[in-house]
Amino acid sequence: MKLEVEGLTVYFPYERIYPEQVEYMRELKRALDAGGHALLEMPTGTGKTAALLSLIVSYSLESPQHQHQLKLLYCTRTVHEMEKTLAELRLLASHLPPTTKSRLLALGLSSRKNLCVNPHVLSAQSRDSVDAACRRLTASWVRTLAHDNPQVPTCPFFEAYDRAASAGPDAVLLPPGVYTLGDLRSFGRSKGWCPYFLARHMIRYANVVVYSYQYLLDPKVATIISKEMQKECVVVFDEAHNIDNVCIEALSVSIRKQTLEGATRNLTQMSQEIERLKATDAGRLRAEYNRLVEGLAQRGNLAITDAWLGNPALPDDILKEAVPGNIRRAEHFLSVLRRLVQYLKSRLLTDKVETENPVNFCAAINSQAGIDQKMLKFCYDRLHSLMLTLEITNTDEFMHIQTVCDFATLVSTYARGFSIIIEPYDERMPTIPDPVLQLSCHDASLAIKPVFDRFQSVIITSGTLSPIDLYPRLLNFSPVISRSFTMSLTRDCICPMVLTRGSDQLPVSTKFDMRSDPGVVRNYGRLLLEMVAAVPDGIVCFFVSYSYMDGIVNSWNEMGILQDVMQHKLVFIETQDVVETTLALDNYRKACDSGRGAVFFSVARGKVAEGIDFDRHYGRLVIMFGVPFQYTLSRILLARLEYLRETFQIKEGDFLTFDALRQAAQCVGRVIRSKADYGMMIFADKRYSRHDKRSKLPGWILSHLHDAHLNLSTDMALHIAREFLRRMAQPYDKTGCGSKKTLLSEEDVMRMSEGAMDTY
Amino acid sequence: MAVISVATRYKTTVKEPGVPGVLKMNEERFVFMPNDPRSLMKLNVEFKNIKGHKFSKDGSKQALLNLTQDPEKGTGYIFEFDNFTDRNSCRDFVGRVLGKLQSVPGRPNEQSVPEKPAGAPLPEQLSAIEMERRIKLLREDSELQRLHKQFVLSGVLTESEFWATRKALLGEDANHTTKQRPGFKSAMLADVRPSADGRTNKVTFSLTPEIIQQIFAEKPAVHRAFLNLVPSKMSEKDFWTKYCRAEYLNRTKNAVVAAAEAAEDEELAVFLKHDDILANEARRKIRRVDPTLDMEADEGDDYIHLPDHGILRDGQKDTADTETEVSRRTLSQDLNRHAAVVLEGRTLDVELGDTRTVAEALAWSKQELLSNEKSEENVNLEKQERVARMTELEDLQASRNPPYASLCIKDPREYFDSQQANALRSLGGTEFGTNSLDLNLSKEEAYRHLKEQISEAKSRGLKNPIIRPDTALKVFSGLSQHLSSTRFQLGKNSQESALDRIPHRTKDELMHHWTSIQELLRHFWSSYPITTTGLYNKVQRVKDAMAQIYQKLQEIKESSQSDFRHQISLLVQPMLQALDAAFAHYDSEQQKRAAKGGAKPNGFVR
Repeated sequence: MKLEVEGLTVYFPYERIYPEQVEYMRELKRALDAGGHALLEMPTGTGKTAALLSLIVSYSLESPQHQHQLKLLYCTRTVHEMEKTLAELRLLASHLPPTTKSRLLALGLSSRKNLCVNPHVLSAQSRDSVDAACRRLTASWVRTLAHDNPQVPTCPFFEAYDRAASAGPDAVLLPPGVYTLGDLRSFGRSKGWCPYFLARHMIRYANVVVYSYQYLLDPKVATIISKEMQKECVVVFDEAHNIDNVCIEALSVSIRKQTLEGATRNLTQMSQEIERLKATDAGRLRAEYNRLVEGLAQRGNLAITDAWLGNPALPDDILKEAVPGNIRRAEHFLSVLRRLVQYLKSRLLTDKVETENPVNFCAAINSQAGIDQKMLKFCYDRLHSLMLTLEITNTDEFMHIQTVCDFATLVSTYARGFSIIIEPYDERMPTIPDPVLQLSCHDASLAIKPVFDRFQSVIITSGTLSPIDLYPRLLNFSPVISRSFTMSLTRDCICPMVLTRGSDQLPVSTKFDMRSDPGVVRNYGRLLLEMVAAVPDGIVCFFVSYSYMDGIVNSWNEMGILQDVMQHKLVFIETQDVVETTLALDNYRKACDSGRGAVFFSVARGKVAEGIDFDRHYGRLVIMFGVPFQYTLSRILLARLEYLRETFQIKEGDFLTFDALRQAAQCVGRVIRSKADYGMMIFADKRYSRHDKRSKLPGWILSHLHDAHLNLSTDMALHIAREFLRRMAQPYDKTGCGSKKTLLSEEDVMRMSEGAMDTY
Repeated sequence: MAVISVATRYKTTVKEPGVPGVLKMNEERFVFMPNDPRSLMKLNVEFKNIKGHKFSKDGSKQALLNLTQDPEKGTGYIFEFDNFTDRNSCRDFVGRVLGKLQSVPGRPNEQSVPEKPAGAPLPEQLSAIEMERRIKLLREDSELQRLHKQFVLSGVLTESEFWATRKALLGEDANHTTKQRPGFKSAMLADVRPSADGRTNKVTFSLTPEIIQQIFAEKPAVHRAFLNLVPSKMSEKDFWTKYCRAEYLNRTKNAVVAAAEAAEDEELAVFLKHDDILANEARRKIRRVDPTLDMEADEGDDYIHLPDHGILRDGQKDTADTETEVSRRTLSQDLNRHAAVVLEGRTLDVELGDTRTVAEALAWSKQELLSNEKSEENVNLEKQERVARMTELEDLQASRNPPYASLCIKDPREYFDSQQANALRSLGGTEFGTNSLDLNLSKEEAYRHLKEQISEAKSRGLKNPIIRPDTALKVFSGLSQHLSSTRFQLGKNSQESALDRIPHRTKDELMHHWTSIQELLRHFWSSYPITTTGLYNKVQRVKDAMAQIYQKLQEIKESSQSDFRHQISLLVQPMLQALDAAFAHYDSEQQKRAAKGGAKPNGFVR
C-alpha cells in the first residue's frame, strides 16, 4: 500500500498497517527532517523493522535530483538478524513501483568467512584463518610475485574481479536489487568475481547497507570498512538495548598468559625475518625507515587486500605525527616490544587482585621498562608498518602480538573511562590459577561518539529501551526525538505473569542463597512440568547463566523431572558451542513444525536470547527462571558501576536492576511478532513482585500485567495459562472494533491524515 | 497351493504341556502327527469346520495358535510353537485359507475365487494382493460379508460393481495407516543409570535391545566401534562391559582417571573421546541451516571478540577450557543429540534382538539417508522461500481468498463422459437442444456453451436450488412429528429407542433390509444417466432385487402384531418411500426411452 506521512509518499509492503507503525514513521520522518538523532522504543510484535525500512527507503528514494542521496546504514547485532532484515527489504522492494525499484540497491556485508567462495580459503576453520588464507592469495606482494612466477597460487575470483575493476570502478557493479550474503555468493560464483571485495566496493554505491554493529562501532573494523561513508547517512541501530555493552567491549582488551607466550614467539619469528631480510633485501627495511622519518606511519595508498584490522583507538584520538625516533628501526621496535611483554608477564605473576588506572599504569611502564607513553601510542601503527614490510601473510598467527600492541595503544591513549584489572584467578574457581590482565572500558559514549559526530541522523531503536532517559546519558548524546510507543492490541494476546511461589507455597527465587535449595529447584521443575503438559507447541526457558542452567538441568535429570518433561516435549539446550546450538535451534523449529512440540533451554544474555525469535508456534510460552542480574562480584562490573556513579550519578542498584530487567524483557519479548500472534510470559522469581524491580519493565509488558497476576503459585499460573490458551483459540476480528482500530487499511490512513489536517 | 509342515505341540487347553508332533497343513485340511506314534492325539480336520483362529502376541511367553471350532464356546485346537517365526508362518497360512473359505461360505466346493458369476459383463483381472485385501475386508466385517453374499453371489451385482463403491476401503491409504511405524521413544534410554546393590562395590548397568539401538543411533562412534570390533576382536559382552566402564567414568566426572584409562586402553578411549562422526555431521548440517538461525555465521563476523579482545571475565562466560583428548561430554550435548535422533525418526525396520543385525541395518539406513540428500541448489531455494515466508507479518497481509480444496476426480474420463451426457440431456428442451443435436461437439463449442451457461447462471441465479424449500419443510415437519410421536409413546425413558421395543427377529430383519436397500439404492442412482448397455442391465437387475425387498417389507408390515404395527409402519415408511421414488424414476426414464427410441451412435441414451 501507499500512504502519506506528512507529505512524504511511503511505500509499505503490506495491505494493512498498524496505527503504531504510522505513528513510528511520523516520528522517524521528523527526526530525518531535523537531521538529528532519535531514540525510539517500540514494542516487539508491531513490525518495527518493516516500518523503519519503508520510511527510510521511501525517504531516500524520493528525491532523485539530490546530489547526495541519503544512504541507510542499518546495523544489526548478528548475521542472522542481517538476513532477516534483508528478507524484509526484499519484500519491500517487491512492492515498490518499478521506477523506484530500479534505483534501490541493498546489500549485506560480512566477513570473508561468510562471503568467500574460494573453496581453498573456505576450508580453513576459524574466521581468522580464513582472513589469513585470503591474504596469502591476494596480498599485493604475493600477486607481484605471482606475476613473475605462475607457480605462486593466487585466488582466481579476486584476479577476475581485479581485472574487471581495472576498467574503472563502474565496470564492476551489482545490478539494482536486494542482496543477502547468499545472493552475493551466488552472484560472485556466477561472474567468477570475489563477492567479498565486490561487496566492499559496492557499499559506496548502495542505498542500503546492512551490516553488523561493529562495522561502525569497533574502530579496528570501522576504520577499514566504513571510513568512506559520507555525512548523508542515516544510521540505524536496531535491537539497540545492549548497545552500551557493545561499545565498551569494542574498546576492551584482555591479556592472558597464553597471549604473552604467543607474543614472545611472534617476536622471535619477526626478528628472524628481519635478519633474513637484512641479508637479502636490506633496501626494504631502509625504505621503511625513510618513510617513518618522513612522518608517515602508514604506507600511502594501501592495496585493498593489504588492509588488516585498523587502529584500536578512535580516529580522532590517533596521533597525526611522526613515529618517535627510537622505534623507527625495526630491531629497536622489537626490543621495545620484548620489554613490554616482559613487563606484562611480571605483572601477571601477582597473587592478589590489582586495579589501576591507565595513567598510573603508563607511568609504571615508563619507570620499569623504559617505554614512554608516546612510544606506546605508536605501537599499533609501528607494528602494522613492520608487518607490511616483512610481508607477513599468516596474520592469524600474529594475533598475539597484535593484541599486545592494541593494548599498548589503548592504554596510553585514554586516561579516563578505562581501568586495568589484574586477576590471578577466576573468582568462581579460586583453585585454578588463570591470571589475566584486563583493560576494560567503562564509558560507552567513547566508541559511539564518532558515529554521532559523523552522521546526520542516528536512530537507536529497540523493543526495550526503558527507562528511555537513561540511554542519552549512557551514550552521551542529545536526541531530537525520544519516544516510547505503546501497543494497541486487538485482543490481549500477551499474558505476562509473575510467579512467586511453587505449588507448595514456598517462595522461588534465584537469589544467591536460595538458588541451590532443592525445594526451589524442584518447584521450578514442577512449574516446567505442568506447563509442558498444558501448553502446545514450543516453550522457551531462560536461565540466569550457563552454570546455573547446567546445574539445574542436571538436578532435574537426577530427580527424574527431565524424564517426565520428555514425555511431553523434546528438550533442546543452548550450549557454548555455537554450531551445536544452531543445530539444536534448527531441530527445535523442526519439532515445533512437526507438531511434536519442544522446550528450549537458553541463557539470558546468551547468543540465543540476543537475536533468535520464538514467534508463533515456536514460542507460546517463555519462562524466565530468576532475575538475570550480572555477576555482581565481577571486578569489571564493580569498576564500571563506580565509574557510572562518579560520572553520571547513576546508582549501582539502579543500574543493576535496569540491566537485569532489560535482559528479562528482551528474553520474553521474543515470543510475539505480530498482533495475530500470542504468547505467555512467566517471570518466575519472587523478586519480580517488588515494585522497584517490576516497574523497570517496558510499558507494553506492564500494561498487560494485571494485579491479579502479580503473586501467583504454580497451580494458579497453570489455571491462568489454560484460560488464556482457550481464549486465544477463539476466532476474532483482526481489525479491531469501533474507535479502537488496530489495523488500518489504506483508506483508514488517508482518513486519519485528513482528520489531522482538519484539526490544524 | 503350498503345504506347510512345522514341528509343534498340540494341547487341548493352554495350561497343559502338550503333545509334541508335526503339524501339516494344506488348502483344505490340517493334520497333526504326534512324535510318539502310540499317542492317540492324532488330528485330521478340514478347514471348513474351523470358524476362526486366535494367536498370542509376538514377544509374549508362549507362541500359541488356536484354531477355534465354535467361537461362542471357545473350543478348538491349540498349538504351541517353539518360536514366533514358525507360529507366524502358520498363522498367516491359516489366515489365508480361512479367508478364502469364509468368503464363499456354504459353498466350499466352488473354486476359491468367488466372483464372476456367469455372464458378468466385464470379468476383471485381479491381482493376488487385491484379492487378498478384499477377502480380508470381508472377513473383518460381517455386515459387508452378508451384503456381498446377498447381492454378488445371487448375481444382482457383479463383484466389481460391489467393490467400486468401496474404493476407499480398498485404497492404498487404508493399507498404509495400519502399517504406521512407531518412532523413537522420547525417553532417554541411552542414558543408562548404574544401580549399586549397596553391599559390595559393584555397580550394575542393564542394557536392553531397545537401549542398545538407541545407543547406536545416538553415538555413531560406538556404533562404528561395534561394527569394527565385534565379533572379530572381542565378544559382544566384552564390548558392552567396556562401554559401561566408560559410561561410569564419564558419570563420575573424574577426568584424570578417565584420561589415564583411555591412555592405556585404546578401545576404551573410543568411548571417551570426542565423537568425530558427529562433528563431521554437524559441519555438514550447519551448511544447510536456516540463515536466520545461523549463529555460526555470526561468530565469523564478530571482530569485537577477537581472541583476547572484548571483556573476558565478566561472569558470563566460562573461561576454563582445558583441552584434553578426553572431552567432557555434558548432559546438554546428550540431550540435544537425543532430541535430534528422535526427530529424525526410526529408520530401521528390523526386529530388535540381535545386536549385530541392528547395527548393520542402522549403518545401511544411514548410507541411504546420505544418498538421498538434496542438492545444494534446492536447499538454497527452499531456504530463501522459507525465510521470505517467515518475514511476512500475516495479519497485515490482505485477506487471501478462502482456502478451497482442489477438485479431485479419481477417474476423470468416466466423470466427464457422464457429465457431458448430463449437461446435454438437461438442455434437451431448451433452445440449446436444437442447435446441439450434433453430439460431436468441438472443444471450442463446448467451451462456449459452458461459458454461456455460467453467465446465464450468474445473471439469473441457479434455477434449482439444491433442495426446494417446500420439500425441505415437508421433510422437516414430518421428521419432527415422527420424533415427537415416538417420544410420546416411549414416555420419559430416553435410553430406550423405538427399535428396542419391537421383537428381536423383526428388528434384525428390518435392519438387514435397511442396509440392503441402502446398497441397492446407491447402485441404482449411481447408474443414471444410463450411457451403456451394461448400466442398463444393471439397473434392471437392481430394480428387480429392490422389488423383492419391497415385497418383503410389505409382508413384515402386514404380519406384525397389532401393538407394534404402528411403530413398524413408521420405520418401514421411509424405506418404502425411497424405493417408490426409485421406481417412479425408473418408469419415467423407461417411458422417455420408449418415446425417443434408438440409442445414439456413441452409446449415449436419450
